[in-house]
Amino acid sequence: MTFISTPLIRYSVGFGMLLALNACANLATQLPPPAASVGITPPPPPPAPIAAPEPPPVLETQPIETTVIEPSVALSPAPNQKSYTLSTASRALVNQATTQRRSKNFVQAAATLERALRIEPKNPLLWLEYGALRMDEHNYPQAESMGRKALASATGDPHTQSSAWRLIADSYKARNQTALAEQAYSRANTLSPP
Amino acid sequence: MKKPTHPSLKKYWPHALGIAGLIIVAICGWVISLDHQIRQQFEGRRWTLPAKVYAQPIELYAGQSMSIDDLQRALERLGYIRSAQVARTGNFQRKSNRIDLVSRPFRFVDENREQKTVSILFNENHIDKIWDSNAQELPVFRLDPLLIGSIYPTQGEDRILVSREETPALLPAALKVVEDRRFDSHIGVDPIGILRAIWVDVRSGSFDQGASTLTQQLVRSYFLTNRQTISRKLTEAVMAILLEVHFDKADLMNAYINEINLGQEGGRAIQGFGLASQFYFGKPLAELQLHEIALLVTEVRSPTYYNPRKQPERALARRNLILDLLAEFNVVTAKEAAQAKAKPLGLVNATSMRSTYYPAFLDFVRRTLRRDYQESDLTEAGLVIFSTLDPLVQSKAESALGNELDRLDKNTKRKEVTLEGAVVVTAPTNGEVLAIVGGRNASYSGFNRALDAKRSIGSLAKPVVYLSAIETGRYHAASIIDDAPVTLKLGSGNNWTPQNYDKKTYGQVPLVRALAQSLNLATVNLSQDVGLSDIAKKFEKLGLSEKPQAVPALALGAATAAPLEIAQVYTSIANGGFRTPLRAVRAVLDSHGNTLKAFPLEVTPVAEPVAIYQLQRMMVEVMRRGTGAAAGKQLGDLVVAGKSGTSSDYRDSWFAGFSGSHSVVVWVGYDDNQSTRLSGSTGALPIWTKIMGGINTSSWDQPMPEGLHETQIEFATGLEVNSQCEPTGLSVAVPDDAELTWRDDCKPTNTGVDAHTSGWLNGIMSR
Repeated sequence: MTFISTPLIRYSVGFGMLLALNACANLATQLPPPAASVGITPPPPPPAPIAAPEPPPVLETQPIETTVIEPSVALSPAPNQKSYTLSTASRALVNQATTQRRSKNFVQAAATLERALRIEPKNPLLWLEYGALRMDEHNYPQAESMGRKALASATGDPHTQSSAWRLIADSYKARNQTALAEQAYSRANTLSPP
Repeated sequence: MKKPTHPSLKKYWPHALGIAGLIIVAICGWVISLDHQIRQQFEGRRWTLPAKVYAQPIELYAGQSMSIDDLQRALERLGYIRSAQVARTGNFQRKSNRIDLVSRPFRFVDENREQKTVSILFNENHIDKIWDSNAQELPVFRLDPLLIGSIYPTQGEDRILVSREETPALLPAALKVVEDRRFDSHIGVDPIGILRAIWVDVRSGSFDQGASTLTQQLVRSYFLTNRQTISRKLTEAVMAILLEVHFDKADLMNAYINEINLGQEGGRAIQGFGLASQFYFGKPLAELQLHEIALLVTEVRSPTYYNPRKQPERALARRNLILDLLAEFNVVTAKEAAQAKAKPLGLVNATSMRSTYYPAFLDFVRRTLRRDYQESDLTEAGLVIFSTLDPLVQSKAESALGNELDRLDKNTKRKEVTLEGAVVVTAPTNGEVLAIVGGRNASYSGFNRALDAKRSIGSLAKPVVYLSAIETGRYHAASIIDDAPVTLKLGSGNNWTPQNYDKKTYGQVPLVRALAQSLNLATVNLSQDVGLSDIAKKFEKLGLSEKPQAVPALALGAATAAPLEIAQVYTSIANGGFRTPLRAVRAVLDSHGNTLKAFPLEVTPVAEPVAIYQLQRMMVEVMRRGTGAAAGKQLGDLVVAGKSGTSSDYRDSWFAGFSGSHSVVVWVGYDDNQSTRLSGSTGALPIWTKIMGGINTSSWDQPMPEGLHETQIEFATGLEVNSQCEPTGLSVAVPDDAELTWRDDCKPTNTGVDAHTSGWLNGIMSR
């Protein structure tokens, strides 16, 4: 031990007081034992307001991802055209994120989609998913940005480009920018008729 | 029967009783006050729990590029133990091309994952398949993340709380045998132990038999100083007894396990067995083996005297003594003890669990969170912080900087001071900061140059000038500009006459060459035509925290920025003109696992895709034909893009650039701002190359936006060529309506020459 003791101190402590102590201890108010196993009170309430925004009302429209994640089988792309699809891992994560979105767990859904984006950062379909999530959250500027990011990654895939324009158009429409929305819808329709 | 007491004494009885009564009342008052104190402190004990910071977890998925050795190393870093069977949490087994493991339970932001038995099959250097114990295939599986540090007070206690369930049964058993054999029966103090201690001390003539119970030790650690006085001992004993009256043995043992000091590291006190387990062995307490538990119990006596890192023999001797005791008292069998005694101390690499190990990165984490949290929330509230650190990238960045600076120092004239440096590595697509090195001694938490060294950026500014030029629509990668002498009148009335690095002039050159060779005159001329205020605005849009002054020398980097700001600018360029705020934190959870704050991915378009693509291609040519060519050769097939930067008088040597998945910024210079005699290419570039070549990264590869097409030019002149007439032609992306001039010998006979020539002439005249 780091401290040094004298026998007198050490030996005198225990005995004399025992009886009195027990008696006194029982005199002392009996409080209930601590709830936690260690006598730890539950940690304090969150020190800062939770960042998640108020859950927005339920969207009546069909979520975007259902029309997007399916590869465009119906369209037979031109020889130099691509058709983006999700990897198995991304698809599993997108499905998980969709479930989280439907139960309004937007923070979790975002975290799950970001996992997918770390695996396939250049897949425009994932950026569209993220944009759809931001639409659900009513974060329209970010929804538009995600649409533009998807568009920049979707070179050569008119179907995905069309979905990106549609997302951009939706975000304009939600902000009452009707003219811009119309332009974007028409670009979407030119690339791939609805 | 005896007669009653002598009558003369009888009259003193009431007085004696009265005095005794007073004493008892006084003692009771004292005890009640102690009792109040102890209950308040024990029940209301809010353990100061420093925020725990985790690195980003490793994701495993089929098709992933990862070798079985990579995974084994990753598991070992996480403290997983290779064993013959995978029966226990934190064990793994490797058989030919397959690893089986039992993962630890872990609460992620998006998932509370139970312990899971998982098998991973490898095919060469790829993951082939992952499945669980029910043979269910798993599309993706995350390992629990590495704990990289905690945010504890400058001088203070750090701890990781463990519950009874997380405590191996061996630990309380060992503590009782070694420290307090009658713990289960005594009342807080141990009269028998005290008697025994007296006896032993008297016989031996020395006074070294301790008689403190675990409860007394707990009281001492909780409430009292180490001063050794009678009143203190008395108070301690009374409080110990009071604790025993109110709380049961199991609660007290758990409190002891979480409370006691087991080490010290600088200003950080290692409190409790949960943290000590991480500190000494790099894994959770629940996974410790006998010899490891015995070492932790060794530290109870004196973490300084038995410091296993400084006094390994002394610690080993006492550990083995404890193992013998455990066998003697039948806590373990003699055979188990003998096997444990044969094992080494088994300490984790002394640096890998130190909270000071990633000081520059943790500094950034702390600054990020300080916007939203009080310092005390971070050091006391038990927050869980998911950071973006990639430990492999971080360690590569640290070693590359340290080793190269050692080499560079040998060649410098200055012997009294050493070069310094800083590195920032990010993932461009999501803005996550993967590594920060704040100086050549990466474990020293001093001046964080990556965040705080605002230095002159030199030619790192040029890509922003060229981007602004292309965005005007009047220039493209093959446009011809004039690398000719220029003198500008400054606001001060003085004249400014910049020069090229080699003091030469190069005449008519294409943009791509001017950037690759970092031609100052061409850049200044270009910037005058583009407009300095647009260029200054572009800097701010891309990520400089303040808009730089729109002065002529801005084109050559007359602006200061910290490496982290440069990382923001270059990350925006690498991410195709989408700015994503750099983040070191993904989310903050409270101690119950509720998400308090998330830092979600955000992107903002800040540059035209067509312009940024041309710029990226031009920056690839920097690495092939320009100031980055030395790296290009060493990196083999890896396609990277970048730009060197050298400030005036060689005070700062920079290199910044990106691959397909990483953006890296390196700065080298002296803290006193003296000349390094190093250019960006000779100082920072070798470090940058070591990092890019040493991490698992992918080639730059962006899809060419619509509206651009490939064409071939002569690098020196920018004249259009084709592979028939010029085998060394450079492929560039230019707008579909770009008008290039054919080199005479390449000119196709059926092309309208006049139109091309006039376009080219217009390009020149417009300056």
